[in-house]
Amino acid sequence: MTETKLNLELEVFRNLFVSIAEEMGIVLRRTAFSANIKERLDFSCAVYDRRAETIAMGDHMPVHLGAMPYSVAEALRSHRLEPGDVVILNDPFRGGTHLPDITSVSAVFLGKDPEPAYFLATRAHHADVGGMSPGSMPLAREIYQEGLRIPPVKLFRRGEIQEEILEIILANVRTPDERRGDLAAQMASHSVGERRLIEATQKYGQERIAEQMEALKDYAERMMRARIRDIPDGEYAFEDFLDDDGFGSGRVRIHCRLAIKGDEAVVDYSESAGRQRGGVNANLAITVAATMYCFRCLIEDDVPYNAGLMRPIRVITRPGSVLDAQPPASVAAGNVETSQRITDTLLGALHGALPDKIPAASAGTMNNLSLGGTDPVTDKAFAYYETIAGGMGARPTADGMSAVQNHMTNSLNTPIEALEHLYPLRLRRYAVRQGSGGGGKYLGGDGVIREFEFLTDTDFALLSDRRETRPYGLKGGEAGAAGRNILNGEELPAKGHFSARKGDRLRIETPGGGGFGK
Amino acid sequence: MSISHIHIGVDTGGTFTDLIVWDGKRYRPIKVRSTPDDPARAILEGIGDLTPREVVHGSTVATNALLEGKGARTAFVTTEGFEDILRIGRQNRPELYNFSAAARPQLVPAELTFGAPERMLYDGTVEKELTAADAETLARRIRDAGVESVAVCLLHSYANHAHERLLGEKLNGLFVSLSHRILPEYREYERASTTLVNAYVSPLMDRYLRRLDAELGTARLRVFQSNGGSIAAHSAGRNAVHTVLSGPAGGVLGAAAVARAAGYDKIISFDMGGTSTDVSLYDGAFTYTTETKIGDFPVRVPMLDIHTVGAGGGSVAYLDAAGALRVGPRSAGARPGPVCYGDGEEITVTDANLLLGRIDPEKFLGGRMKLDLDRTRRYMAKFAEAVGVSPEDLAEAIVQVANSSMERAIRAISVERGHDPRDFALLAFGGAGPQHACELAERLEMKTVIVPHHAGVLSAVGMLAADCVRDFSQSALGRELDDVFRELEQRAATEFAEEGLPAANFERQVDLRYEGQSFEITVPYEDRERFHEAHRKLYGYAHPERAVEAVTARVKAVAPLEKIDLGAVSDAETFTSVYVPPGWKSRQDAARNWILTTG
Repeated sequence: MTETKLNLELEVFRNLFVSIAEEMGIVLRRTAFSANIKERLDFSCAVYDRRAETIAMGDHMPVHLGAMPYSVAEALRSHRLEPGDVVILNDPFRGGTHLPDITSVSAVFLGKDPEPAYFLATRAHHADVGGMSPGSMPLAREIYQEGLRIPPVKLFRRGEIQEEILEIILANVRTPDERRGDLAAQMASHSVGERRLIEATQKYGQERIAEQMEALKDYAERMMRARIRDIPDGEYAFEDFLDDDGFGSGRVRIHCRLAIKGDEAVVDYSESAGRQRGGVNANLAITVAATMYCFRCLIEDDVPYNAGLMRPIRVITRPGSVLDAQPPASVAAGNVETSQRITDTLLGALHGALPDKIPAASAGTMNNLSLGGTDPVTDKAFAYYETIAGGMGARPTADGMSAVQNHMTNSLNTPIEALEHLYPLRLRRYAVRQGSGGGGKYLGGDGVIREFEFLTDTDFALLSDRRETRPYGLKGGEAGAAGRNILNGEELPAKGHFSARKGDRLRIETPGGGGFGK
Repeated sequence: MSISHIHIGVDTGGTFTDLIVWDGKRYRPIKVRSTPDDPARAILEGIGDLTPREVVHGSTVATNALLEGKGARTAFVTTEGFEDILRIGRQNRPELYNFSAAARPQLVPAELTFGAPERMLYDGTVEKELTAADAETLARRIRDAGVESVAVCLLHSYANHAHERLLGEKLNGLFVSLSHRILPEYREYERASTTLVNAYVSPLMDRYLRRLDAELGTARLRVFQSNGGSIAAHSAGRNAVHTVLSGPAGGVLGAAAVARAAGYDKIISFDMGGTSTDVSLYDGAFTYTTETKIGDFPVRVPMLDIHTVGAGGGSVAYLDAAGALRVGPRSAGARPGPVCYGDGEEITVTDANLLLGRIDPEKFLGGRMKLDLDRTRRYMAKFAEAVGVSPEDLAEAIVQVANSSMERAIRAISVERGHDPRDFALLAFGGAGPQHACELAERLEMKTVIVPHHAGVLSAVGMLAADCVRDFSQSALGRELDDVFRELEQRAATEFAEEGLPAANFERQVDLRYEGQSFEITVPYEDRERFHEAHRKLYGYAHPERAVEAVTARVKAVAPLEKIDLGAVSDAETFTSVYVPPGWKSRQDAARNWILTTG
C-alpha cells in the first residue's frame, strides 16, 4: 500500500489481534502453578501470520517478545505441523534463549486447508529445568550443566499428549508436579488463541484478515521509518562492559556501531567480545530482541509491536561471539544480564544522535537469584527463582524511578506473604536503597535492598552484574552505585553458586540508575 | 402522624446530578446541574421541598479525592524493615516502552511512614511480639506528626490480627483503618494499598456525609457501594473504600432491574458516556471482582465486575503519523466538547453520530442542548478531504473504530470469563450507548438490545433497586472452613443489628484453587464440589485428580430493602436518540423500554 492511503479499519483489526494475545496470557497466568508465572508474570504470548511473522503480542516481557519469532521459525524448520500439534522447545541453539524459558508453538488451520493459516506461541520461564543447581540459572561452563535441553519436539500430536516426552522432561526437573501444571497452562492458552482466530476468520473472511495482518506490519514499518528519519544521519559508537563471566574473565566488552542513513539503521555489534566461559553468552535472538526494544522506545506513539518494526533495522553480529552464541556455550545469563548491557550500549550510541531523548543507564542487571533444597515442612524438593528491581536512569527532563524493573524485564515481585507461605524463606528487609541513584541535575532512581533468611539448608545461585562497573550517567550526571551481594556480612561475587545453612542471611543490594546533567 | 413514603435515588455525576423520586406508586426523574465544589448543593436543589424517608446516594467524593490527591493527611504503619512496600509496589514499571513515563504517585510521604517492631508469620505464629510500650511510643510519634488518619498494615495480619488491634487501640481518637478489617487476605502490597486508600479518603467522605445527613433532616441517608448494595451513611464514612465505584455500580443494578422487569435475565450492560464506557455482565446473578485498580492504586475489596474503556462520545478522532485512523483516548470533554457543541475544533464520536443522522440535533440531552450540525458537516468535510474519502465514510469508520474497542471490553467480561455473549441481551444507556448498541451487538452476534425508558438516569434508578449488601471475608489458609464462616457471620450479624437493619441472609462463598496455583475461583460454598467444572469452563481444562485448597472464605450479608417497582408508571417523558440499523425491528414494551431485535 502507498504511504498515505487511509486504512479505516486498521485499528479495528489491531484491537482484535492484540485481544487474542492478551486473552492467551490471561489463561496462562491464571492456570499456572509456579510463582514465577502466576505471581511474577514471567511469560509472553503472541500471534503470527502464515509466514510466521509476528502480528500481535500482549504487553508482556520485552526480552521474550523480540526473540520468540526465532522459536516459531525453528519449530517450522524442524516439523510439519498438523492440527492439534504443539511443539515445545528451549534449546538456545534451536530457537530458544536460555533453558528455563520453554516455548510452545502451534499452527491454526482453517477448514480442510492443509496449510496453516496462523501460528501461536507462548513462552514461560519455568522455575526449574534441572541442571547443576536448583532454579536452573547456574553459573556453568557448558550448556550441558545448565539443565535439560529440549530441541523442537511435538508434545502434542493431533491433540494427543506424548507421554514419553513429558516423562523425559519430568524425570529431569526438581519440581515435576509444578512443571506438569505449568505446561498444561501453556497448552490451555493455545486452545483459547486458536478458537479466537478461527472465530475471527469466520466473521471477517480469511482474505480480509490476511490483508489487515499485512497492513498492520506495513503500518508499524512506516512508524519506525518515520522515527529513524528524524534521527540525524551518521555513525555513532559506544561501548560498555559486563563485570565478568563468573570465571575470572574480567570485563566483557559489549560494543555497538550504529549507522543511521535516511530511514534505515544498521546496528553492528561485531566488535564485541568473543565467547565467554561463563553463561553470559547471548544468542542472536536475544541481541535482536534488545535492539528492537531500544528502537521501539524511541517511538512515543502507541505503535503495534509486530514484525514490521524491525524491517528498517539490520543487526550485524559475529557468529560465535558473546552476542551470537554457538554451541556448546553456556547461556543462562545471556537472556537476563547481557541483554540488559546490549540495551545500555545501544542506548549509549543513540544518545550520541539524540542527546535530549535518551535516559542515563538503568540498573543494568536483573539480579537473578535462584535457590532450592528440601522443604522441612513438606519434605519435598523446592526450587524458586526471582529477579530484583533496581534504579532507573535519570531522564533528560525527570528523575529516574526508584525500585522498578528496567528495560528487558518487567516481572513482578513475589508477595512476601506468598513467598513465606510457599517456601522455607523469611524476608528480613525489603526497602528502597536510599542514595544509590547517581547525582546530577536529574537523579538516577534508587535500587532495592532485599534480605532473606534461609529456614533450612539451601543452595543458591546468583547471576548478577554491575557489582563492579556502574550504570553510567549522561551529560555530567554521576554513575549509579554498584550493587552488592552479602551473605552473613561477607561480600559475595556477582556470579556464583553458594551453599547456605539454616539461619544464614543473604542480602542483595541492587544498583541505582545513572544521573543526567550537572 | 404522617410518614413519608418517598424514596430518592441520587447519582452525582461530573456534569449532572440525577435523581429518581419514588413515592410507592409512581416514579419520576429529576436532573440538575452538578456543583462539584460542594456536591450536596445540587442534591438539595433537586430534592427541593420533598420530604423523603430515605435517600440512597451514589457519590464520587471518595474517588475524586483519591484521583485528585486531595485526601486526608495520612500516616502508614507497617512491620519494621518493610516501610517501603507501598513505594516498591510490585516492582514493575507502569509502561513498557516509554522512557518518560511518570512514577506512580504516593499518597503518604516517607516521613509519615512508620515501622512497628513486630513480626507475625504466615500461620499466625508471633515471631516478635509488639509490646504495649512499643505500641504506645509508636502511637505517640504518629500523633505528634499531626495526621488525621492512619492506615495500619502489618505482615501476615490476615492470619493473626493481634498487633493491628493493639495499635488500633493506642491510636484511638484518630481515624484508623486496620488492614485485617478492610481486607483480611494475603498479598501485602494489595492489602496495604486498599487499606491506605480507605484511610486517605474516609475522613473527607465522613465530613461530607455528616453534613449532608444533617441537611436532610429526618431522612435516612444511605450510600451506594461498589458491590451493588447500600450501607448507612455513618458506616460509609468509615469505610469509604467500598464506595469508589458507587455511580457505575448503580448503573449495573439499574440495568439488571430494568431487564428483569422486562423479562430478560441475562444482560450485558453498556454505559457509554462522554469520556468513558462501562460494561458489566449479569446472568441472573451479578459478577464480582477483587482485582480493581482505581487510578494507580489497587483496591481489592469485592466490587461489581465493571470494565471501563477510555472511549466515549467525546473521544477525539485523528489520523496518526503513519496513516491510521485512531479514536481516543484523548477526549474533548464537556469543554470545548465535540465540534457540534459550538467551540470544539476536533471531530469526535458524537460528531460522527450526528453526521450519520443517529442523533437528533434538536433533542440532545433531552433537549437541554442544541447541536450545530452545519458546523460538524464543515469540519468533517475538511477532515475527510484531507484523507480522500467521503465525510459519511469517515464518520462510519470513526464509529467502527470506537465500536472495536467496546467490543474488546465486552469480550473481556464475557468470553474471557467463560460466557458466550450470544446468550445475552445488550442493555444500553448513558448519553451515547443507544446510538452504538445495535452495531456493537452485531459485532458480538447478540440478537437483542434493550434501551431503558430512563436511559439517562439509570444509575439513580439502580440506587433504589438494591438491597443492603456487605461483604465479609477472611483468609482460610490452613483453617477449618466452618469455623471461619461462623466468625464471619457473627461479625455480620452484629454489624447489621447495630445499624438497625432487618436480619440478613448470608451467602457463603469460598475462593478455591488447585494446591500450588495462586489464582482462585470464587464458588458458592454449597457448590464447592463443582470447582473442577468451573475451572474447565473458565480455562478449558481441569485437574480432577489434584488437591483443591480453600484460600478465602467470603460471606455476603444481604438485608432486603424496599425497592422501586419498574413496572409502575413514570410521570415524565424522556427522549433518547436510538440508532436502529437496517435489519433490526423495534418496539416499546409496557414500561416504555425500547426492545430492538434482529434475526
